[in-house]
Amino acid sequence: MGLRHASFIARTVYVRNNNIEEACGVLNRIMGREGLFEQFRRTRYYEKPCQTRRRVNFEKCKAIYNEDMDRKIQFIMRKNREEPFPGCS
Amino acid sequence: MIKSALRLLASPSFKDRLLSPSLLSEGGKFTGSTNIWRNFHATTRCQKAEDKKMMLASLPPVDEGTKGEKSIQIDNLLSSSEILFPDETTPFRLHDGTPYKDLPICNIKVSHNNTIISLTDCHGKVQMIHTCGKEGFKNTRKGTNIAAQATATTFGARTLRSGIKTVRVRIRGIGPGRMSSIKGLQIGGLDIVSVTDNTHVSWTPPRPRKARRL
Repeated sequence: MGLRHASFIARTVYVRNNNIEEACGVLNRIMGREGLFEQFRRTRYYEKPCQTRRRVNFEKCKAIYNEDMDRKIQFIMRKNREEPFPGCS
Repeated sequence: MIKSALRLLASPSFKDRLLSPSLLSEGGKFTGSTNIWRNFHATTRCQKAEDKKMMLASLPPVDEGTKGEKSIQIDNLLSSSEILFPDETTPFRLHDGTPYKDLPICNIKVSHNNTIISLTDCHGKVQMIHTCGKEGFKNTRKGTNIAAQATATTFGARTLRSGIKTVRVRIRGIGPGRMSSIKGLQIGGLDIVSVTDNTHVSWTPPRPRKARRL
Protein backbone atom coordinates (compact mmCIF):
# COMPACT_ATOMS: atom_id res chain seq x y z
CA MET A 1 0.00 0.00 0.00
CA GLY A 2 1.86 3.05 -1.22
CA LEU A 3 1.29 6.13 0.81
CA ARG A 4 1.01 8.57 -2.06
CA HIS A 5 -2.17 7.13 -3.52
CA ALA A 6 -3.17 5.04 -0.58
CA SER A 7 -6.25 3.07 -1.41
CA PHE A 8 -8.65 2.26 1.38
CA ILE A 9 -7.27 5.13 3.44
CA ALA A 10 -8.58 8.12 1.58
CA ARG A 11 -12.24 8.39 0.55
CA THR A 12 -13.20 5.43 2.66
CA VAL A 13 -16.15 5.07 4.99
CA TYR A 14 -16.86 2.13 7.27
CA VAL A 15 -20.27 0.56 7.20
CA ARG A 16 -21.89 0.49 10.61
CA ASN A 17 -24.58 -2.07 11.44
CA ASN A 18 -24.94 -2.99 7.78
CA ASN A 19 -26.31 0.47 7.10
CA ILE A 20 -25.19 0.95 3.52
CA GLU A 21 -27.35 4.00 2.88
CA GLU A 22 -25.73 5.96 5.64
CA ALA A 23 -22.19 5.07 4.58
CA CYS A 24 -22.87 5.93 0.94
CA GLY A 25 -24.59 9.15 1.96
CA VAL A 26 -21.60 10.23 4.04
CA LEU A 27 -19.20 9.34 1.25
CA ASN A 28 -21.27 11.20 -1.33
CA ARG A 29 -21.61 14.20 0.91
CA ILE A 30 -17.88 14.43 1.49
CA MET A 31 -17.13 13.99 -2.20
CA GLY A 32 -19.74 16.58 -3.10
CA ARG A 33 -18.48 19.07 -0.55
CA GLU A 34 -14.92 18.74 -1.79
CA GLY A 35 -16.11 19.43 -5.33
CA LEU A 36 -14.92 16.11 -6.73
CA PHE A 37 -18.22 15.21 -8.36
CA GLU A 38 -18.49 18.65 -9.83
CA GLN A 39 -15.06 18.39 -11.40
CA PHE A 40 -15.80 14.88 -12.63
CA ARG A 41 -18.98 16.02 -14.33
CA ARG A 42 -17.35 19.06 -15.80
CA THR A 43 -14.49 17.13 -17.36
CA ARG A 44 -16.75 14.59 -18.95
CA TYR A 45 -17.09 16.84 -21.98
CA TYR A 46 -14.78 19.56 -23.20
CA GLU A 47 -15.63 23.00 -21.87
CA LYS A 48 -14.89 25.73 -24.36
CA PRO A 49 -12.75 28.62 -23.07
CA CYS A 50 -15.58 31.09 -23.46
CA GLN A 51 -17.79 28.83 -21.35
CA THR A 52 -15.04 28.58 -18.74
CA ARG A 53 -14.76 32.37 -18.55
CA ARG A 54 -18.50 32.66 -18.27
CA ARG A 55 -18.68 30.10 -15.50
CA VAL A 56 -15.79 31.62 -13.55
CA ASN A 57 -17.32 35.07 -13.76
CA PHE A 58 -20.64 33.73 -12.58
CA GLU A 59 -18.97 31.97 -9.65
CA LYS A 60 -17.17 35.16 -8.68
CA CYS A 61 -20.40 37.14 -8.67
CA LYS A 62 -22.14 34.45 -6.69
CA ALA A 63 -19.38 34.36 -4.08
CA ILE A 64 -19.53 38.13 -3.64
CA TYR A 65 -23.30 38.04 -3.29
CA ASN A 66 -23.18 35.17 -0.80
CA GLU A 67 -20.55 36.88 1.30
CA ASP A 68 -22.55 40.08 1.48
CA MET A 69 -25.75 38.26 2.22
CA ASP A 70 -24.08 36.30 5.01
CA ARG A 71 -22.85 39.53 6.53
CA LYS A 72 -26.32 40.99 6.29
CA ILE A 73 -27.88 38.00 7.98
CA GLN A 74 -25.29 38.06 10.73
CA PHE A 75 -26.05 41.74 11.26
CA ILE A 76 -29.76 41.09 11.57
CA MET A 77 -29.27 38.08 13.80
CA ARG A 78 -26.77 39.60 16.24
CA LYS A 79 -27.92 39.25 19.79
CA ASN A 80 -25.93 41.80 21.78
CA ARG A 81 -28.27 44.69 21.05
CA GLU A 82 -29.08 47.10 23.84
CA GLU A 83 -32.65 47.22 22.71
CA PRO A 84 -33.79 43.78 21.61
CA PHE A 85 -36.39 44.94 19.08
CA PRO A 86 -35.24 48.20 17.55
CA GLY A 87 -37.96 50.30 15.99
CA CYS A 88 -40.80 48.40 17.67
CA SER A 89 -41.24 50.39 20.87
CA MET B 1 -38.96 34.68 -49.11
CA ILE B 2 -41.52 36.25 -51.36
CA LYS B 3 -40.94 33.53 -53.90
CA SER B 4 -41.62 30.81 -51.40
CA ALA B 5 -44.73 32.57 -50.23
CA LEU B 6 -45.95 32.76 -53.76
CA ARG B 7 -45.26 29.08 -54.25
CA LEU B 8 -47.31 28.36 -51.19
CA LEU B 9 -50.12 30.48 -52.54
CA ALA B 10 -50.02 28.45 -55.72
CA SER B 11 -50.31 25.17 -53.82
CA PRO B 12 -53.92 23.97 -53.57
CA SER B 13 -54.04 23.45 -49.82
CA PHE B 14 -53.05 27.01 -49.03
CA LYS B 15 -55.52 28.37 -51.51
CA ASP B 16 -58.15 26.18 -49.99
CA ARG B 17 -57.42 27.52 -46.55
CA LEU B 18 -57.60 31.09 -47.73
CA LEU B 19 -60.79 30.55 -49.56
CA SER B 20 -62.59 28.36 -47.11
CA PRO B 21 -63.63 30.98 -44.52
CA SER B 22 -65.31 33.01 -47.22
CA LEU B 23 -67.00 29.91 -48.54
CA LEU B 24 -68.12 29.03 -45.05
CA SER B 25 -69.75 32.38 -44.61
CA GLU B 26 -71.54 31.97 -47.90
CA GLY B 27 -72.94 28.52 -47.70
CA GLY B 28 -70.76 26.24 -45.62
CA LYS B 29 -70.61 23.53 -48.20
CA PHE B 30 -66.95 22.56 -47.89
CA THR B 31 -66.71 21.82 -44.20
CA GLY B 32 -64.42 18.84 -44.65
CA SER B 33 -61.13 20.63 -45.28
CA THR B 34 -61.70 23.63 -43.02
CA ASN B 35 -60.49 21.83 -39.92
CA ILE B 36 -57.01 21.24 -41.28
CA TRP B 37 -54.72 24.05 -40.13
CA ARG B 38 -51.03 24.36 -40.37
CA ASN B 39 -48.77 27.17 -39.17
CA PHE B 40 -47.19 29.18 -41.87
CA HIS B 41 -43.73 30.55 -41.16
CA ALA B 42 -41.97 33.00 -43.42
CA THR B 43 -38.79 32.68 -41.34
CA THR B 44 -37.35 30.05 -39.00
CA ARG B 45 -39.05 29.67 -35.68
CA CYS B 46 -37.47 31.84 -32.99
CA GLN B 47 -38.70 29.89 -29.99
CA LYS B 48 -37.21 26.56 -30.95
CA ALA B 49 -34.24 26.83 -28.56
CA GLU B 50 -36.42 27.99 -25.69
CA ASP B 51 -38.88 25.19 -26.27
CA LYS B 52 -36.07 22.68 -26.11
CA LYS B 53 -34.73 24.25 -22.93
CA MET B 54 -38.14 24.10 -21.29
CA MET B 55 -38.58 20.50 -22.36
CA LEU B 56 -35.19 19.54 -20.92
CA ALA B 57 -35.92 21.38 -17.68
CA SER B 58 -39.21 19.56 -17.31
CA LEU B 59 -37.54 16.14 -17.59
CA PRO B 60 -36.98 14.30 -14.31
CA PRO B 61 -33.41 14.53 -12.96
CA VAL B 62 -31.13 11.64 -13.86
CA ASP B 63 -30.26 9.35 -10.97
CA GLU B 64 -26.48 9.41 -10.64
CA GLY B 65 -26.22 7.49 -7.42
CA THR B 66 -24.97 10.57 -5.63
CA LYS B 67 -27.74 10.69 -3.10
CA GLY B 68 -26.89 12.87 -0.12
CA GLU B 69 -24.43 14.91 -2.11
CA LYS B 70 -26.13 18.15 -1.18
CA SER B 71 -27.98 17.25 1.99
CA ILE B 72 -27.05 19.23 5.06
CA GLN B 73 -28.32 16.72 7.61
CA ILE B 74 -25.28 14.57 6.95
CA ASP B 75 -23.06 17.46 8.01
CA ASN B 76 -24.56 17.25 11.47
CA LEU B 77 -24.00 13.51 11.40
CA LEU B 78 -20.38 14.11 10.44
CA SER B 79 -19.81 16.63 13.18
CA SER B 80 -21.13 14.18 15.76
CA SER B 81 -18.07 12.05 14.85
CA GLU B 82 -19.81 8.76 15.25
CA ILE B 83 -18.84 7.80 11.73
CA LEU B 84 -15.88 5.51 11.51
CA PHE B 85 -13.08 6.50 9.24
CA PRO B 86 -9.92 4.49 8.71
CA ASP B 87 -6.86 5.17 10.81
CA GLU B 88 -3.41 3.61 11.21
CA THR B 89 -4.76 0.51 12.92
CA THR B 90 -7.32 -0.15 10.19
CA PRO B 91 -5.30 -2.59 8.05
CA PHE B 92 -4.88 -4.93 10.99
CA ARG B 93 -8.40 -4.82 12.31
CA LEU B 94 -10.03 -8.22 12.17
CA HIS B 95 -13.23 -8.77 10.23
CA ASP B 96 -14.57 -12.29 10.36
CA GLY B 97 -11.12 -13.51 11.35
CA THR B 98 -9.32 -11.79 8.48
CA PRO B 99 -7.33 -8.58 8.79
CA TYR B 100 -8.78 -5.69 6.81
CA LYS B 101 -5.84 -5.54 4.42
CA ASP B 102 -6.33 -9.16 3.36
CA LEU B 103 -10.04 -8.90 2.68
CA PRO B 104 -11.14 -9.53 -0.91
CA ILE B 105 -12.09 -6.40 -2.84
CA CYS B 106 -15.27 -5.91 -4.81
CA ASN B 107 -14.55 -3.39 -7.54
CA ILE B 108 -17.53 -1.69 -9.10
CA LYS B 109 -17.15 0.44 -12.16
CA VAL B 110 -20.20 2.56 -12.78
CA SER B 111 -20.74 4.49 -15.98
CA HIS B 112 -23.79 6.11 -17.47
CA ASN B 113 -24.41 3.15 -19.73
CA ASN B 114 -23.27 0.11 -17.80
CA THR B 115 -22.12 -1.31 -14.47
CA ILE B 116 -19.21 -3.72 -14.17
CA ILE B 117 -18.59 -5.61 -10.96
CA SER B 118 -15.47 -7.66 -10.35
CA LEU B 119 -14.10 -9.49 -7.36
CA THR B 120 -10.38 -9.51 -6.71
CA ASP B 121 -8.23 -10.82 -3.91
CA CYS B 122 -6.24 -8.42 -1.75
CA HIS B 123 -3.42 -8.26 -4.33
CA GLY B 124 -5.75 -7.31 -7.16
CA LYS B 125 -6.00 -10.66 -8.94
CA VAL B 126 -9.39 -10.91 -10.61
CA GLN B 127 -11.45 -13.90 -9.58
CA MET B 128 -14.90 -13.14 -10.87
CA ILE B 129 -16.54 -10.59 -13.11
CA HIS B 130 -20.10 -9.72 -13.94
CA THR B 131 -21.78 -6.92 -15.88
CA CYS B 132 -25.25 -5.69 -16.62
CA GLY B 133 -24.81 -6.87 -20.20
CA LYS B 134 -24.01 -10.41 -19.05
CA GLU B 135 -27.03 -10.35 -16.78
CA GLY B 136 -29.23 -10.06 -19.85
CA PHE B 137 -29.95 -6.37 -20.01
CA LYS B 138 -29.24 -4.93 -23.41
CA ASN B 139 -28.71 -1.45 -24.81
CA THR B 140 -30.17 1.42 -22.78
CA ARG B 141 -31.51 -0.89 -20.10
CA LYS B 142 -27.97 -1.68 -19.02
CA GLY B 143 -27.64 1.82 -17.69
CA THR B 144 -30.42 1.68 -15.12
CA ASN B 145 -30.35 1.24 -11.39
CA ILE B 146 -32.59 -1.81 -11.64
CA ALA B 147 -30.11 -3.55 -13.93
CA ALA B 148 -27.27 -2.68 -11.57
CA GLN B 149 -29.13 -4.01 -8.55
CA ALA B 150 -30.09 -7.25 -10.27
CA THR B 151 -26.52 -7.75 -11.46
CA ALA B 152 -25.10 -7.07 -8.02
CA THR B 153 -27.56 -9.44 -6.38
CA THR B 154 -26.58 -12.27 -8.72
CA PHE B 155 -22.94 -11.47 -8.23
CA GLY B 156 -23.29 -11.42 -4.47
CA ALA B 157 -24.97 -14.81 -4.47
CA ARG B 158 -22.24 -16.25 -6.70
CA THR B 159 -19.55 -14.83 -4.46
CA LEU B 160 -21.18 -16.40 -1.44
CA ARG B 161 -21.26 -19.74 -3.20
CA SER B 162 -17.53 -19.50 -3.85
CA GLY B 163 -17.00 -19.14 -0.12
CA ILE B 164 -16.41 -15.44 0.31
CA LYS B 165 -18.67 -13.56 2.69
CA THR B 166 -16.88 -10.43 3.83
CA VAL B 167 -15.70 -7.92 1.24
CA ARG B 168 -14.69 -4.30 1.00
CA VAL B 169 -16.17 -2.30 -1.85
CA ARG B 170 -14.28 0.03 -4.11
CA ILE B 171 -16.49 2.05 -6.41
CA ARG B 172 -15.52 4.13 -9.40
CA GLY B 173 -17.47 6.61 -11.48
CA ILE B 174 -20.93 8.08 -11.19
CA GLY B 175 -24.00 6.64 -12.79
CA PRO B 176 -27.38 5.13 -12.02
CA GLY B 177 -25.81 2.01 -10.56
CA ARG B 178 -23.68 3.71 -7.96
CA MET B 179 -25.89 3.23 -4.93
CA SER B 180 -28.06 0.41 -6.17
CA SER B 181 -25.18 -1.93 -6.97
CA ILE B 182 -23.89 -1.72 -3.40
CA LYS B 183 -27.39 -2.33 -2.15
CA GLY B 184 -27.66 -5.29 -4.50
CA LEU B 185 -24.48 -6.80 -3.10
CA GLN B 186 -25.94 -6.57 0.36
CA ILE B 187 -29.19 -8.16 -0.78
CA GLY B 188 -27.12 -10.92 -2.36
CA GLY B 189 -25.90 -11.77 1.12
CA LEU B 190 -22.45 -10.22 1.26
CA ASP B 191 -21.13 -8.53 4.35
CA ILE B 192 -19.72 -5.15 3.31
CA VAL B 193 -17.07 -3.77 5.62
CA SER B 194 -16.28 -0.47 3.98
CA VAL B 195 -17.11 1.63 0.96
CA THR B 196 -14.26 3.36 -0.86
CA ASP B 197 -14.52 5.77 -3.71
CA ASN B 198 -11.96 5.45 -6.44
CA THR B 199 -13.35 7.85 -9.02
CA HIS B 200 -10.58 9.28 -11.14
CA VAL B 201 -10.83 13.05 -10.92
CA SER B 202 -8.23 15.27 -12.48
CA TRP B 203 -7.88 19.03 -12.52
CA THR B 204 -5.60 18.91 -15.54
CA PRO B 205 -7.14 16.20 -17.66
CA PRO B 206 -6.36 15.49 -21.30
CA ARG B 207 -8.85 17.14 -23.58
CA PRO B 208 -12.20 15.39 -23.18
CA ARG B 209 -14.54 14.63 -26.02
CA LYS B 210 -16.56 17.46 -27.46
CA ALA B 211 -19.67 18.59 -25.69
CA ARG B 212 -23.02 17.11 -26.53
CA ARG B 213 -25.35 19.34 -28.48
CA LEU B 214 -28.77 19.28 -26.96
